[in-house]
Formats: sequence, structure tokens, C-alpha cells
Amino acid sequence: MATTTAPPTVINAKLNGQDIQTKPGTLLINLTKELGIEVPAFCYYEGFSLQAACRMCLVQVNSSPKLLPGCTTIVTEGMVIETESPLVVEARKSMLEFLLTNHPLDCPVCDKGGECELQDMVFKYGAGESRFVDIKHHEPERPFSPVVYYDPARCILCYRCVRVCDEGYGVNALGVVNRGVLSEIAPNRGDQLNCDECGACIDICPVGALTSNTYRYKTRPWEMKHVGTTCAHCSNGCKTTLGVRNDEIMRANNRDSSGLNEEFLCIKGRFGFDFNHHPDRLQSPMLRIDGDLQPVSWSKALAAVAAKFNEVKAAGGKFGIVASNRTSNEENYYLQKFARTGLGTNNIDHARTGDVVTLVDALSGKQGKLATMADLYQTKAALVIGSDLAQQHPLLAYELRRNWRHHQARIYAMTPGPVREDKYAAATARVAFGEEIAALEGWREQLAKEPELLILFGDSIKGASLRQLVDFGESLGIPVKYVALVDYANSRGAIDMGLVPELHPGFVPSGQPGLTLPEMLDDSQLDVLWVVGANPLANRSQANPKAFVVVQDLFLTATAARADVVFPAASAYEKKGTVTNVTGEVQRLTAAVKTMGTKTDLEIFGLLGKEMGLELGIWSPDAVFNEIRQNVRGYNVTMPILATGGAAPTTPVNGKVNVETRSDLVHSAGDTLFTSGSMTKYSQVLNTVAERPGQLYKPV
Amino acid sequence: MANLTEILSAAKAITKGMGITFGEMLQPALTEAYPDGPPQFQERYRGAHVLKRDENGLEKCVACFLCAAACPSDCIYIEAAENTDQLRISGGERYAQVYNIDYNRCIFCGYCVEACPTDAITHGHDFEIASYDTSTLIYRKEKMLEAPQAGKASLAYDSQASNGTSGH
Repeated sequence: MATTTAPPTVINAKLNGQDIQTKPGTLLINLTKELGIEVPAFCYYEGFSLQAACRMCLVQVNSSPKLLPGCTTIVTEGMVIETESPLVVEARKSMLEFLLTNHPLDCPVCDKGGECELQDMVFKYGAGESRFVDIKHHEPERPFSPVVYYDPARCILCYRCVRVCDEGYGVNALGVVNRGVLSEIAPNRGDQLNCDECGACIDICPVGALTSNTYRYKTRPWEMKHVGTTCAHCSNGCKTTLGVRNDEIMRANNRDSSGLNEEFLCIKGRFGFDFNHHPDRLQSPMLRIDGDLQPVSWSKALAAVAAKFNEVKAAGGKFGIVASNRTSNEENYYLQKFARTGLGTNNIDHARTGDVVTLVDALSGKQGKLATMADLYQTKAALVIGSDLAQQHPLLAYELRRNWRHHQARIYAMTPGPVREDKYAAATARVAFGEEIAALEGWREQLAKEPELLILFGDSIKGASLRQLVDFGESLGIPVKYVALVDYANSRGAIDMGLVPELHPGFVPSGQPGLTLPEMLDDSQLDVLWVVGANPLANRSQANPKAFVVVQDLFLTATAARADVVFPAASAYEKKGTVTNVTGEVQRLTAAVKTMGTKTDLEIFGLLGKEMGLELGIWSPDAVFNEIRQNVRGYNVTMPILATGGAAPTTPVNGKVNVETRSDLVHSAGDTLFTSGSMTKYSQVLNTVAERPGQLYKPV
Repeated sequence: MANLTEILSAAKAITKGMGITFGEMLQPALTEAYPDGPPQFQERYRGAHVLKRDENGLEKCVACFLCAAACPSDCIYIEAAENTDQLRISGGERYAQVYNIDYNRCIFCGYCVEACPTDAITHGHDFEIASYDTSTLIYRKEKMLEAPQAGKASLAYDSQASNGTSGH
């Protein structure tokens, strides 16, 4: 009888004279990393395909007469590995000398100087001097796009940029042309890039070959203060680390891989912070005097608004409050409290971008049905309905793609036009908005065979069709989780904090009638329209042109331009607080900079409440967040997670939301990678890249 | 006899002592007449900083911030900007648009000079920088920058002179 030996479950090897054990199939470079032994490498990058191009990670292995690259060698039984032997040390030194034959020694001018991997390695492992005396091959630096610059001389051809663009983002905009010493990175559209302009290639470059035009020659890494906060643009809630100098944001990246997005950022996260320094930022309150908006002091503007509010309140007048998709949870909570207890009105609404309310209601009585960001990377199968993820939700698209690359997840895409997921999806279907539910039946058999499913749906699925979708999902007989896609940085928080007339914070029915956003604008009896960080009058006028309009915003938007009082608000990068992303995870905002003359919306509410003589409680972000944790169901999150810059999942209501929600008002603005609602106009970068303004469901 | 020996040895000692005295009297004086006369400096004296120019008259400073990083009293402030073909200030890609040294804080340790990779910042010999108004002690680049050498004012000047189109 033939005996079969089971595959080994543990591998015994010797590393630098020490006996070690590891899992079968472990890469040598990962083994050393686990044990805290550094094996230097340029081309190896966790999560991307193996390249073995840089030859920096050469190590000595008993089974081979020559040195082996640690990044492609798998540890086998009985292997004897040396990472610090004289031969290895000499090889590293030679490799670095070799790399430096053509790499210019312009570290003092190079933007990467101070955080350059080559610089660090030469410092640690390199030879003190170079023996190379010939003239270096030099090509001039050239722009690949308004954000990406390439300096061929500095390039060490590690292929990291090529791989992150192709594998990570699925854009494939970079390649390597020519041979030997003439090899260089080339963009995909002649001498220019046609891509997402995300700048991932810049951050992943171990040297200063790819640099950012917006950060170019401005400062040096050690001169900046690094502030971790949450991106102010879309709902994905990427953590971004802002490099700040002199109260100015110099750059944004997330090289420390903290946060739910790890290193991922799109153009808006990495370059779109520039709206913050736009010269049109409002820096003084403005009051309409003799028909013109004129700058006045804070006290004068606050007094004017408080007097009017008190007068209208005393006369039993009608308030209409338009809240924002971008303000923090604390501000949202305080605003609805201001409206409901302070002004005694329930006329509060915001531009709704996803039907979270119906989803929560439809899932009542069930546990663990709302997906988190981690689920996107872990799920075995995902179904995308009615959204161009790569354009509208870049992080979600990235995570699904990463899941497919690493775990072979099966992706189903049901969209009205071509999307990037088509390339690797298990099944795709072109279905017009509103017809998805019927079309889903065709996939029932296939989907029911999946071990689990994650359904992401856009604004076309709302109200009744959303209930049908949940019925469909629950009838598949497999574990299904859902994500209701919303548009902006705190769209989810706006719903959770009850910025709709029908709900109090935490999906508690308000039980009192209130005007919705279109009803407020259509109401000819409205006395006061109070707009916080929104632009409802962008394309329309209000029914009562005599209504007293108060606006809090960063810029003089169309709405602010016709206001009676305008308060200059601080941006998300200028305030403390929390925001909730599309997957319901709470993250912190940290104030990075300050714009002179502005106040945070929370402070404006607080001062206004005080001026009116209201008792609304302390208006510090910490105090209000404590109140939220106590009063809003699902928001009793673990504080250490937040404090350390993590994303704390919320667990919203697990029960019926007994309310008639206005699902018909749910409408996504359909922002692309290169637009961000009313903020698009004020970001220079978003307005200079050739791909702007982008297009959803763009045929490839 | 003993007296004679004593007298002779005293005379010898006096001669030796006075020899040194008269010998020194003939040497140039070491005492400085400052403030009546100009002070003398050793080459390595660390006075107020001078920002150097290269042989083409361009600024040597490429705004690498290493001096600011090395500075123990954090008195150097730089804002960098990029050279363009129209406006070339330094030899490298980048130049210091703003370069301030706060002499309220500078301790003249010379670390900045040590750190400078392009030998752009040096110590000059100016030490008379005391002021009744501390706000005047923040020196700007324009104040510290070496004057362009005659005949080597700038690249543009050189090229004009060499091709004889200077109009003379």
C-alpha cells in the first residue's frame, strides 16, 4: 500500500544561525520582516506582484552557489539563510554603487531628500565613495501631467509605479520603454498621462524620479508637521496625512498606511486639498447693507442673525434649515438640536444622496447586515448595482479590485454603462437605472451559489426598489451584506444625525411634520432660510424672495451671494470632529491649518445660540461627541480606535424605522474622480488635469 | 665674592627681562584699537552670515533646508521656489525665495555652514549687529547676499560681453 505524506504544516530553517519555524510558502523577505531582520529592497512591495528587478535583497542560501533574491525565494525545509554575511554585505554595497552610477547626487534639491529609500540605504549599507568616473547618462526632467513629473536620471527602474498603476488601480498608464541604460518610465498618451491622476506612482516611488507638481520644490519632509485627518471630498472616508508648514497644506498622502484606506488615495485626497487656500475663501462675516453684502464684524453679524431669528421665532414664523453633506457629526448633531429645541422647528433637511434610511428599515431584526470597509477586501463575492465605482467611490473600487487580485473574489457589475470592474468581473450586465431589480432575477442562480455576497448599490435603488433588493438578497439563502452608496464626506453622518425632518438622530422617528429641502424652497411663506455648507440655490430660486437667508460656507456660492448674512466657515481640514463614511465607520477630523477670520460651523452655532439666549450646551467637539455617543444609537464607538486615527464601525438601529421616508428625494450628484460638488470650482488641481471633468460609465 | 655673583646674576636677569621687553616693543602691536581702528580677524571667525554666489554670479543656495535642520536655535527660515528659464536665481532647480536668519536667536555655532552642501552660507566677519530694536535683527536674504562681482554680475551679463553686443 502506497503511503502519501501530508504536505508539511511547518517549515524548519536556519536564519543567521538561529533555528526558526515558519509557514510553508513564506517568502524569505517576509520571513525576515516578521523576525525584525531588515533585508533591504526597492522593487519588492507588499501586495503587488514580484519583480526581482533591483537585486537589493540578495541573501546567501546554502542550497545555491549564488546569492538569491529574498523577494522571490520561498523558504524551504532545512534552508540555511545568511542575511548579514560578508558576501551579502559586499553585494549590497556593490548594488548600491551600481545604482548610483547613473543616479544624480542632487539630494539637496531633490524633493525626496530626507525620505528617500535610496538615500537611507546608501547611508546604511552603501560604500562611502563612488569609483564611477564617467559622465552620467542624463535626460531632462519632464512633466507627465499637471500633477506628475518624471526625472529619468533619478529612476532606478524598480517598476513600483508601473505595478501600482496597473495592478492596484487597474489604470495601466505607466510602462517602461527602451532597453538597458536607456530604459525609462513612459506615460500612456504620447508624452502625457491619461489616467486617474491619483499620484500613487509619486508616493510609491522609492526615489525622487516621480514627483508631485503641487509639492515640487516647496519644502522638505522634515520641515512639515504631519497631521492625520479624513479626506474632505467623497464618502469613502480615506485617511489622509497632511504635510503642513506655515499654516499651509503642502501635500497629502498616507505613507504610514494607517486608516482604512492604507496607502490608497485618489486625486481628490492627494491633491484636492488646495481648495483650502483658494483666494476666494471667505474671511469675514458679511451683512447685506443697502442691498450689498459688506464685510462686518462677527459680533455685528451674529447680533443681526440672532435678532432676526428671535423675532421670527416669537412671531411663530417659518424657518427652513438646509444642512450639509460635509460638516462633522458634531456640527450636524448640534444643528439639529439648535433647530428642534432652539428654534422649535422640524424643517431641517439636506441633499440626500443615498437611501440609508430604507436600507436600515428593510434590514430590521437582522444582525451584521451592513458591510464595513474591511468586508470589501474579505468578501468572497460582491455585486455592484448602478454605480461607476472607480469614478464615484474610488476606495471601494480599489478594495474590490484588491480582493479580486489577492483572494479571487467574484465581482458582479450591473450598471447602465461600461465600468472598470468589467475587466475582471465574473459577470456584467448593462441595465438602465430602475430596471435592476428585474434584471437581477437572471443572476439569481449564479449568486445563490456564492458562499457570501456584498451588495453595493447607488441612488437608483431607493424606496420600494430597495426593499425589493433586500428581499432578493435575503432570499438567496447566503449571508448578504449591504452598502448604500452616498456621495460626500459626511453624507452618511448627516442621515445618522437626523438632518431630515422625519428622523431624529439615530434613526428615531421625529413624529412631527417638517418641510423637506424642495418644500422649503417652494414655500412662499418661508421667513428664514438657514443654509449650512450647502448650495441649494445653485440652479434655482426660492419661492419667497423676501425670506431672510443666512449662509455658512467656505466660499461665496450662488446661495451665499443672495444671502442676507454670510458667515465664513472653516473647512474640514481646519476643524476637530468626526465624520462617518459610506460604510458607516466613524473617523476623526484633526485641525491641520487655520484660515484667518473663519470659525468652525460648530462654533458659529454655539455663538449664535448664545446670542439668542438659548441653552444648547457646550459647543466643543469633544463635549458634543460625548453627547452623540450617549444619545445616538450605534455611535457608542470605542474611543481608543478613534484616538489612534482608526475607523470605528457604527452599529445603527436594529429595528423598524417606523417612518414614511421621502426616498424620492434621494439623488446622487454623480461626481466623477475629478469633481467634488460645489468644491470642484475651487480646486486648481481638479481644474487643470486633462481628464477633467471626467465621465461616468465612460466607454473604454 | 658672593656679592659679586649675586650682582652679576641680578644684572643678567634684568638684561634678559628687559631684552624681552625691548624686543616686544619692536614687534607689531597685538592690541586692537577697536573701536578707533578696524578690528583684525582670523579667517575662521564666525560673524554674521554671508550668502555666496557662484562663478556665474548665480546664488549658490539651492534651498535644501539643511542649514535650518542643523540649526540648534532654529533661527533660519526658508521658503523655496523653482527656477525657471525666465528667472534663474540659483544653479540648481530650486532657490531660496525667502531666506531669513533671526540674529536674536543665532548663537554663531557654525553648524549651518558645516551642513551646507553647496558652500552657499558662510560666516562673514561682521559682528556689529547689536540693535536697540530686536525687529531689525531678522536679516533677509537681500541683506546677507554677497554683491555680484564686477564683470560677473550674471549669466546674461557674461554672454552679452562675450559676443560683443553690449553696445560699447
